Amino acid sequence: MVNKTEEELKAAFSELTVVKEDYNQKGYHLSCDVAPKDIAAVAGFFDERRFYLAVELCVDYRDYLEIVYIFSLHMSLCKVKITVKIDPVKPVLPTISGIFASAYWYEREIREFYGVLFEGHPNLTYLFLHDGIDFYPLRKDRIPVTDNDKRELSSFSPEQSEDSLCINMGPQHPSTHGVLRVVLRMNGEYIEEAFPVLGYLHRMHEKMAENRTYPQFLPNTGRLDYIGAMSFNLGYVTALERLAGITVPERANYVRVIATELNRISSHIFWLGAYLADLGALSPFLYVFDDREQILDVLEGITGSRLTYCYFRFGGLYNDIDDAFIAGTKAVISRIRSRFPLYEKLVTGNVIFVNRTRGIGVIEKERARKNAVSGPVLRAAGIPTDMRKLEPYACYSEMNFEIPSGQRADALDIYNIRLREVETSLQIIEQALAKIPEGPFMTPKVPKKLKPRKGDIYHTVETPRGELGIYIVSDETDRPYRLKLRVPSFSNLMVFPELAKGNLIADAVAILGSLDLVIPEIDR
Amino acid sequence: MGGLVKLLDTEMVRLAVGLVLALGFVVFNALILTWMERKVAGHMQLRIGPKEVGPFGLIQPLADATKLLGKEILIPKAVDKTLYYLAPILIFIPVIVAFVVIPFDSYLLVKDINVGIVVILAFSSFTVLSILLGGWGSNNKYALIGAIRSVAQNVAYEIPLLLALLSIVMMSGSLSLKTIVEAQKGLWYVFVQPVAFIIYFIASIAETNRTPFDLPEAESELVAGYHTEYSGMMFALFFLAEYTNMFIVSSIAVTFFLGGYNGPFFPGFIWFLAKVYFLVFVIMWFRWTYPRVRFDQLLNISWKALIPLAFLNLLVTGGLLKL
Repeated sequence: MVNKTEEELKAAFSELTVVKEDYNQKGYHLSCDVAPKDIAAVAGFFDERRFYLAVELCVDYRDYLEIVYIFSLHMSLCKVKITVKIDPVKPVLPTISGIFASAYWYEREIREFYGVLFEGHPNLTYLFLHDGIDFYPLRKDRIPVTDNDKRELSSFSPEQSEDSLCINMGPQHPSTHGVLRVVLRMNGEYIEEAFPVLGYLHRMHEKMAENRTYPQFLPNTGRLDYIGAMSFNLGYVTALERLAGITVPERANYVRVIATELNRISSHIFWLGAYLADLGALSPFLYVFDDREQILDVLEGITGSRLTYCYFRFGGLYNDIDDAFIAGTKAVISRIRSRFPLYEKLVTGNVIFVNRTRGIGVIEKERARKNAVSGPVLRAAGIPTDMRKLEPYACYSEMNFEIPSGQRADALDIYNIRLREVETSLQIIEQALAKIPEGPFMTPKVPKKLKPRKGDIYHTVETPRGELGIYIVSDETDRPYRLKLRVPSFSNLMVFPELAKGNLIADAVAILGSLDLVIPEIDR
Repeated sequence: MGGLVKLLDTEMVRLAVGLVLALGFVVFNALILTWMERKVAGHMQLRIGPKEVGPFGLIQPLADATKLLGKEILIPKAVDKTLYYLAPILIFIPVIVAFVVIPFDSYLLVKDINVGIVVILAFSSFTVLSILLGGWGSNNKYALIGAIRSVAQNVAYEIPLLLALLSIVMMSGSLSLKTIVEAQKGLWYVFVQPVAFIIYFIASIAETNRTPFDLPEAESELVAGYHTEYSGMMFALFFLAEYTNMFIVSSIAVTFFLGGYNGPFFPGFIWFLAKVYFLVFVIMWFRWTYPRVRFDQLLNISWKALIPLAFLNLLVTGGLLKL
């Protein structure tokens, strides 16, 4: 697929120099530098070949701004990095949000963080920084925001409408799970338009990363997705190991898989409880918390924390597992197995639940691709893509597991997929426990002051919510020059306005819940 | 002495004493039901519920009530003051009136009105009016939507409720609750009219806005629905009315279908209360088990299923009675 794409790209754009990259080092197969005027045509090329835009980001190299597009395929491993260099003084670039819907928010983000103007973008206003800011935060030099730019950036406010009822769902609302705000323009009980408003939990982790050494940023990753912190830890750690060429002992890899999968189970069952609470059934919440508590106890035994873990280290683990952990994990497995028939009986077969979730929030394959949704939401659309299988990290390549996929792509399918993924995770843990080798849990001589090679990497892992992409640019210092997090909930939320349109407010709650959003992760 | 008994037996005194007792019972019942709800919820959710205040946490409702009384009543600036104050008071009137005609026992009855059930149903329609006033007067979008939902829901479910009760009225030939209970000395009507009982029970849950039909106060959608802007004792009045309504609809179900105060060995009122609280328990059981239905589904259940079924049931009842 990589060679075919390379040839086609060369054939379609003869003036481009397509570079074949070392995938193991960089995380992408091809890279290509494109002139600003050609970017729409190149994006169209990838759109035709059913790529999705995994992430769009900007890096400030002082002499020029580089916009990076990562195009990726769902069913086979082929990643292409397209870069566009633009003038830092007057940064202007044509938008591709008309071709890839997922670019819509990414471009807004780049606009407010870097000041890049995307020509033709329908709505270049604040995404996170609604209170305004005097300079572009991610630029390396202090570039002031002009009054004119400020006015443009704050020109959009969704509740400005005369003749229809606007409801602010959030930032404090029982079913937005945190501080997401969704402005709903209503016609009676039907939603005419939904505008998610982000930024209430914005902490600028990406800027923090630039001011910290690599190990210092490690705890931050656990604060992004506080429900699936282990996956974020793992993503960051494996990305860095790949970038710096650190090898990890086998035993550490197995423990990483076990810990991550335990965390995935706890995340999924937490979602189950929270989702049913959204739908009005409050009891399952307490049942799953009872189960989750046991998982947290087990993880607490090895990591020392219950929620925002920081267990992995570059080159291994913080400490080794003990017999109590193994016994506890086995107990968790049998407990979850024994509890699931109960949930099936109480929830899956419940006629009210089925009627509430069937046929709502349908994400067709095409819509899923255009919005770059990932994780269980994507798999429900019938695209069984899982980064654990597609580009295995840690020791997932040695595990034998099935990736569930759905057909109807509605909320009920997403529910079923999540429940089946719990079973998948249990199987992975069982296999890992059976195969776990003895040996060291940490590579000796990992330098305290980590200075990876010059260059960049785009590394992806599968979190409970979907594809986490970490793009790191290293300049051979002990801090990242640029660190971009492509977080799954961000892309998954992007599809929400389309899904909510024309539905009842009760459906909007059910759809929002089915996407399993974690707000700190979206707002970063 | 004889004169005193005679005085007590006059209509007005009986009514006055009855209303005072009813008022006392309403508050007492609400205390019991809040405790019961928390205990039921607790045990269904792998918890034990309140246990610290008093034995088995029995004093907990009193502590809650004290807290609610002590709370400052926050009134948003933009409310319509008259309607806003009126709503919680108005919701409280009909629930007391209903107690006048409910037969707790063959003698424990304030007044046996020959159109007893009509009185209850007529006054219970006040509830929806006060919810609408509260929702409108709050000047809050969530409250307004909750109130609108409540009206649509109550209109839809009052019809099957009435039709279900009507089939019993046809069988017993009376609108007086006491006569209906007396008619069930031998066989309870639930065995003769199971369909009517199920229709009535579903509709009554909807009328009291309980899960799975708690759309006017759907927490995950409308925050708290029509009483979003109420706090302290004003909220407590809504709360009190909801629990009393649960008791009333259950006691009508017991009176019409489960033989009222009829039962062996124990005095009648014990049977009556046991049956009522059992039904209340079932309603609570529903709440902690089921998710909430969607609004269009809610209306469809009533207009497409319950109402035709209730009419059919009425028709069959009428036909069989004629034979």
